[in-house]
Amino acid sequence: MSAVAPPVTEQPSGGASAAHQAAQKRRRRRNLLVGWSFILPNFVGFAALTLVPVIGALAISFTDWDSYSTPKWAGLDNFQRLWNDSNFWAALQNTLYYAAGHIPLTLVVSLGLAVLLNQKLRGVHVLRTAFFFPYITSLVAVAVVWNMLLSPESGPVNQFLTFLGIDDPPGWTSSQDWAMPALIITSVWRDMGYYMVLFLAGLQTVPAELYEAARMDGAGAWQRFWHVTLPGLRPTTFFVTVMITVSSFKVFDLVQVMTEGGPGRSTLVLSQLIFREGITQGRFGYASAVSLMLFLICLVITVIQFRMQRRSER
Amino acid sequence: MKLTKNLARIAPLIVAATLTTTACDASGTDSTSSSQGGTVVKIALWNYKTTPEFKALIEGFEAENPGIDVQPVDILADNYPEKVTTMLAGGDTTDVLTMKNVTDYARYATRDQLLPLTDEAAGLDKASYSGLDDYDLDGKYYALPYRSDFWVLFYNKDMVGKEDLSELTWDDYAKLAKKFTKGSGSDKVYGTYLHTWRSVVQAISSAQTGGDQLGGDYAFFKDQYEMALGLQKAKATLPFATASSNQITYDSQLTTGKAAMVPMGSWWAAALLAEKAQGKNDINWGMAPMPQAQNDGKNVTFGSPTAFAVNKKARNADAAKKFVTWASGPKGAAAVAKIGVTPAYTSDKILDTFFSVDGMPADALSRRTMQPTTVQLEMPVSDKTSDIDQILKEEHEMIMSGEKSVDEGVKEMDKRVKDEVQ
Amino acid sequence: MSTTVLRKDSTAPTDPAPAGPPAEPRARGGAGAAVGQIALYVLLAVVALAVLLPFIWMLISSVKDDRDVFTVPIQWIPEEFKWENFTTIWTRVPFAAYLGNSFLLSIVITFLQVLTGSFAAYGFAKMRFPGRDLLFTGYIATIAVPWQAYMVPQYVIMQKFGLVNSYTSLILLQAFGAFGVFLMRQFYLTIPDEISEAARLDGLTEYGIWARIVLPLSKPALASLALLTFVNTWNDYMGPFIYLTDNRLWTVQLGLRAFIGQYDAESAMIMTGSVLSLAPVLAVFLLGQRYFVRGIATTGVKG
Repeated sequence: MSAVAPPVTEQPSGGASAAHQAAQKRRRRRNLLVGWSFILPNFVGFAALTLVPVIGALAISFTDWDSYSTPKWAGLDNFQRLWNDSNFWAALQNTLYYAAGHIPLTLVVSLGLAVLLNQKLRGVHVLRTAFFFPYITSLVAVAVVWNMLLSPESGPVNQFLTFLGIDDPPGWTSSQDWAMPALIITSVWRDMGYYMVLFLAGLQTVPAELYEAARMDGAGAWQRFWHVTLPGLRPTTFFVTVMITVSSFKVFDLVQVMTEGGPGRSTLVLSQLIFREGITQGRFGYASAVSLMLFLICLVITVIQFRMQRRSER
Repeated sequence: MKLTKNLARIAPLIVAATLTTTACDASGTDSTSSSQGGTVVKIALWNYKTTPEFKALIEGFEAENPGIDVQPVDILADNYPEKVTTMLAGGDTTDVLTMKNVTDYARYATRDQLLPLTDEAAGLDKASYSGLDDYDLDGKYYALPYRSDFWVLFYNKDMVGKEDLSELTWDDYAKLAKKFTKGSGSDKVYGTYLHTWRSVVQAISSAQTGGDQLGGDYAFFKDQYEMALGLQKAKATLPFATASSNQITYDSQLTTGKAAMVPMGSWWAAALLAEKAQGKNDINWGMAPMPQAQNDGKNVTFGSPTAFAVNKKARNADAAKKFVTWASGPKGAAAVAKIGVTPAYTSDKILDTFFSVDGMPADALSRRTMQPTTVQLEMPVSDKTSDIDQILKEEHEMIMSGEKSVDEGVKEMDKRVKDEVQ
Repeated sequence: MSTTVLRKDSTAPTDPAPAGPPAEPRARGGAGAAVGQIALYVLLAVVALAVLLPFIWMLISSVKDDRDVFTVPIQWIPEEFKWENFTTIWTRVPFAAYLGNSFLLSIVITFLQVLTGSFAAYGFAKMRFPGRDLLFTGYIATIAVPWQAYMVPQYVIMQKFGLVNSYTSLILLQAFGAFGVFLMRQFYLTIPDEISEAARLDGLTEYGIWARIVLPLSKPALASLALLTFVNTWNDYMGPFIYLTDNRLWTVQLGLRAFIGQYDAESAMIMTGSVLSLAPVLAVFLLGQRYFVRGIATTGVKG
């Protein structure tokens, strides 16, 4: 079964009669109407208040809009500026760094958690709730406690590292080189419960009989995970991967609270740049150009993920 | 499907309730005149309940202008500028807009979102104002200041003892800070606390050395950085990295007796008084002039005024102008001085009012502190201000957290301001 | 290997205890297994405690003095417990009203999101018509644009509609997002088409299949969608901040930020409020968790 290929298949048979073709046409029109009727209630709200503003925002990237005056066509000026803006390149590099760490780690950790907490364990409800807590705990509390844990001189993490024999433990959020890893660790910790919920829902779709069958064939826990759980979870995994990818590229709140992009600009990310250039400075044209770049990157990655997903289903 | 069933049962009710509420709101907020038939002036401000100056101004004005009803539009202080920008983009008609800082003011004014107040400004007694010039954009004024904060040295009288703080240079200050530092571990007491903002080092050194923060040559910061890093190295102040990662508040440093001297803006006085009144602190504090770069008897510091402007799309522009002019004038000044806020307009009478506030330290030194020789604007206004501000902030973090030496940091500032700010 | 093929024989109900916790049945017997079990418990408990550390800090801070919240080093045991924080907050700000507003908004938005999202998802997952994939791509694509970019254009449109400063604006904004559509579509893909084919032969319309077969089969997904939408709406700050000006309409997150002044913040109050505002989220989570039970294998075809 493929994610995009139609479940309702219409095979054009070789020598179809005119009546058959007419029936097919009618069926197609009916499908179109019924299909749209499903989508319409959501689409009306979506189109008017999300799709249109989004398209508008992306179109603004070719103007010099300041949020107030009539926008003037600026052609590719904003993109030229972007090319020469060291802030953009720094933010792009940081965002890619963050994504490269955050995406795989969150995926693995949240899937692992979901599989663990999908077992018949006593108190599993309590544990699931505990692991969801980081996502709902106040960001300020998260920032303060993680900064304490990662404190260069007195933090338990560095004390442990020193204990292990590492002489020069990292400076974490006060160091240019280690601020991003610190952010990645904190964000994986924060997000794992969120994606765990999605994986937990997905795990319920994997039929129990398959596990039984696999066990009869003598498959161990690890083999069952690889050959039953993972294939069964594929649509969920695809969804979660896309969501983690997109949210990694759009990361904002945690960075804002934990490091504010610093020290220097070592953790400046694209959404911060967009916020600063657009809403703070009123250079909406330029901010939109940066957004368009972010959008294109996400789009390319998502399309690749779509392709990979489709191939793996064949 | 219990979940959805339950939801299905209550949701329509809620939707209906919501729509009724919102319908009521829409009808309730769109009037230009109050129920008594007077003119309504809406004013965008922040944290109305916890910022008493707004209430003082509004009530004072309404008492003198019975025909005008001033209504606050309460916005959170945290993201005030973002909200105002968005509101104005949507064509909002709120009459008066509070200008949190001069940089934002310049942005709104150059975007043509404010009504000119040049005529009103011409009628003011300029010599008595602090910060009025900062609103001069090519001879035109689009806002009038009602308060003007500047930086002073707050200190704990019990910890400072008999030491004379009246004419400190930065060297004297550093020596004292080391002297006041005592203890270790959780009993450690620091001689001073330098907050994490870049102005603590950069704006003061600009004001006292004459260096231009928009100039692109930042060698004039060096002495001040050496001093600040020296204090940090001598452990006479909480390290920058610790203060920023633990989100330390400057207020707690003074009021819990952790630091003896804290350079900070004059706005803090009113906050300290309010805390004391509520029994939240029992600190015996005073104010001294900021330490100086040169020992020439002058009191040079930096500050930032706060102003009211009239929205270009105001519904009741005339009444709004009336309010703005009143608030920035002697009567408005008296109203805010009464609650310990430093007004933009000053006179001996206003100063008397300020020092007669219950709990305000009224010693000679505090009084002298409130009459600085020169108050330079925290950051000059130009279309490059925000970009340069950001670069200076980033490099400030690098220097203070020890990631770069002073020379490297200053060199980087010079380079980045030249390269990145077109 | 294709999941559909495997799923064919899975529609027959074989698990006799559908009510119990969902499970990949664990390995049976043996002392080694028991030790492993205990080790797993200990590990999970330790990790869970570590995970809760910031929450514990929040709890402790909520009964402190403002100035004792951010200290160096962190003060884990307050010098004095200010329990009255939990009583004063209700009078300092209209906290109960804020809670009510947040609850109202979150419930309405969650309900509409789940309803329209799961409805639209059927069109995307189980129907075939021209333009479907393009439309779906449009949905996905908007997820990739950061809100910072379109916040102002969105506000301008809303202002034109005259909806600013009302709940209608927020509801319209957040109830029709792409998230729910995408999530539900992915979930529907795991439901074997044989089930709906059989229902079609039985004469059910597409709407009937959605309501009577697909929806009941996707309880876990509906629960997780409802849960996550509720949490995100409840915790949203920027949306309500930009759209709700009138203090009477404010939500909890706005109420909490009101304790942050221009120069200072009442940190203990913020933490007190944050702790209180967790209660409804927790309740919804515990409620939603009960639906994380096997759907397909136990329910089978009943339509």
